Amino acid sequence: MAAPLVKAVLGSSDLTLSVRSAVLRFPGFTQVRWSRYSPEFRDPQIDKDYHRKPWAELTEEEKFERELRKTQPIKAARSANTSSVFEDPVISKFTNMMMKGGNKVLARSLMTQTLEAVKRKQFKKFHAASSEEQATIERNPYTIFHQALKNCEPVIGLAPILKGGRFYQVPVPLSDRRRRFLAMKWMITECREKKHRRTLMPEKLSQELLQAFHNQGPVVKRKHDMHKMAEANRALAHYRWW
Amino acid sequence: MLKGVTRLVSRVHKLDPGHFLRLGTQAPQSLAAHLDNQVSFESPRAISCTSENDPAKHEEKHEGQHYNLPLQDMKTIFPHGLPPRYAMQMKTFNEACLMVRKPALELLHYLKNTNFAHPAVRYVLYGEKGTGKTLSLCHIIHFCAKQDWLILHIPDAHLWVKDCRDLLQSSYNKQRFDQPLEASVWLKNFKTTNERFLNQIKIQEKYVWNKRESIEKGSSLGEVVEQGITRVRNATDAVGIVLKELKRQSSLGIFHLLVAVDGVNALWGRTTLKREDKSPIAAEELALIHNLRKMVKNDWNGGAIVMTLSQTGSLFKPRKAYLPQELLGKEGFDALDPFIPILVGNYNPKEFESCIQYYLENSWLQHEKAHTEEGKKELLFLSNGNPGQLERLCAYL
Repeated sequence: MAAPLVKAVLGSSDLTLSVRSAVLRFPGFTQVRWSRYSPEFRDPQIDKDYHRKPWAELTEEEKFERELRKTQPIKAARSANTSSVFEDPVISKFTNMMMKGGNKVLARSLMTQTLEAVKRKQFKKFHAASSEEQATIERNPYTIFHQALKNCEPVIGLAPILKGGRFYQVPVPLSDRRRRFLAMKWMITECREKKHRRTLMPEKLSQELLQAFHNQGPVVKRKHDMHKMAEANRALAHYRWW
Repeated sequence: MLKGVTRLVSRVHKLDPGHFLRLGTQAPQSLAAHLDNQVSFESPRAISCTSENDPAKHEEKHEGQHYNLPLQDMKTIFPHGLPPRYAMQMKTFNEACLMVRKPALELLHYLKNTNFAHPAVRYVLYGEKGTGKTLSLCHIIHFCAKQDWLILHIPDAHLWVKDCRDLLQSSYNKQRFDQPLEASVWLKNFKTTNERFLNQIKIQEKYVWNKRESIEKGSSLGEVVEQGITRVRNATDAVGIVLKELKRQSSLGIFHLLVAVDGVNALWGRTTLKREDKSPIAAEELALIHNLRKMVKNDWNGGAIVMTLSQTGSLFKPRKAYLPQELLGKEGFDALDPFIPILVGNYNPKEFESCIQYYLENSWLQHEKAHTEEGKKELLFLSNGNPGQLERLCAYL
């Protein structure tokens, strides 16, 4: 039985299933999301300006990179990634997280209605305010959205570490993507759970985004609670080994 | 004056410098709005807005430009009948601006040259979804209100043929059905619009409401309307009386009558209303619809009938249908024949540019990329020049 097993191990490099990446991101975590593409596939370049640059204006490295891309296989672009000027990766990620059961149409419409609701509320405030205050009121729903999510991102997180048969909540540093994920997750959970049965999601979400923009509201409070817990448990920090 | 300058200053900070370089104009953008519209240089205010606020004076040269309607007039002339998204926009911007477009200009020209001795001409505004039929109708109504016509505006005939909670058997005619709620709401709005005519017009017949109440010949139309509003059971009959009297008296020449019906294809379509034994009710068995059909016939003179077809609220019609034959059906088309059809289409490039400029003026387009040429081209592509789609796109940008 040993010979077939060895063959299987040697044969695995020919398969299109990608191998576990050489550098493990965290010692405690294994890679769960496999890709159908093998590692030599490059990501597609969606940016229109990249392709519109005339050949004469490119530097030597860029020319080399273009030539190289001609020889490499490229993954198919996602249908949700457009080359539109109005595309925003943060908004797309948030829409995907709000989506339930693959209903992207509904998630996107909720997102657009939320942005519209935020805009209308800010316009109402703008017209009601005096001329000095009008300069301080932000009416761009995209800046409000980005700032609100930035205000909800925690600086430090907690991880459950098993030591001596007990789980301790140990303060750990968080990567950028984990922080962004947590901010969006908290926002969505807050809006789903703590709203009246009759209020609609855009209404509630716009309210929460505006509160988070001003560093108030329940999502920012949850971030502060996380920080306080981390501060309280800072004696356990040496349980972390990475 | 100072407020205008400070508003302008805050706007200057919002727009990027490239915007100014492209336009070639500097400070007097909002100041130009107060000046006459014969500005020689192409400032965005000259493209998108005009200072001519009287619909009677709108000409070909105003095509594509927005004119301002005073908010006080909007409350009296349009207590009902504005599209909901337009009403939201009015609330957000604190102003009501309407674009002058070719179909409305054409209709205005016809209305200005109406011969009141001839039978009333029927005009039908038709077009695809979101092209601006209802707002063109509102433009016409504003013109007629300014010319002191009596406005009989049915905001959406589709609302009368669906979702009615209380249907009463009509006391006047056992075969028909009454809709007290819809009728009383309409009477209230009718009263708001035409307050001043209600005391001048006297009814020419005696009407008996029930054993104890009746209304004498010679009393004013206002009393009929009051009776309809207070006694909700008689509201439908009150509406019938109002329509009959107005039709009879418009030929006398005391007033000009404008009958404006939005969604006129509801009058000849199917309804979703059912009797207690679950059998469907046909449109002519509803008293309101029956009376309205009589109103829309051209056997009276002294005014005009302007109608809009609408697929949006219609029942059992395919989404892509927009032509009169498709939406009205054979019965409706024969009833309305002859009429003047007016096609309302998507924005042409000049109107599109004007619309975008209007949104930019009001800082409605907040996305940085929306100010650029790329952004505008993309908006044009995504909306295909359709005014409704463009409005929905710009709402979240």
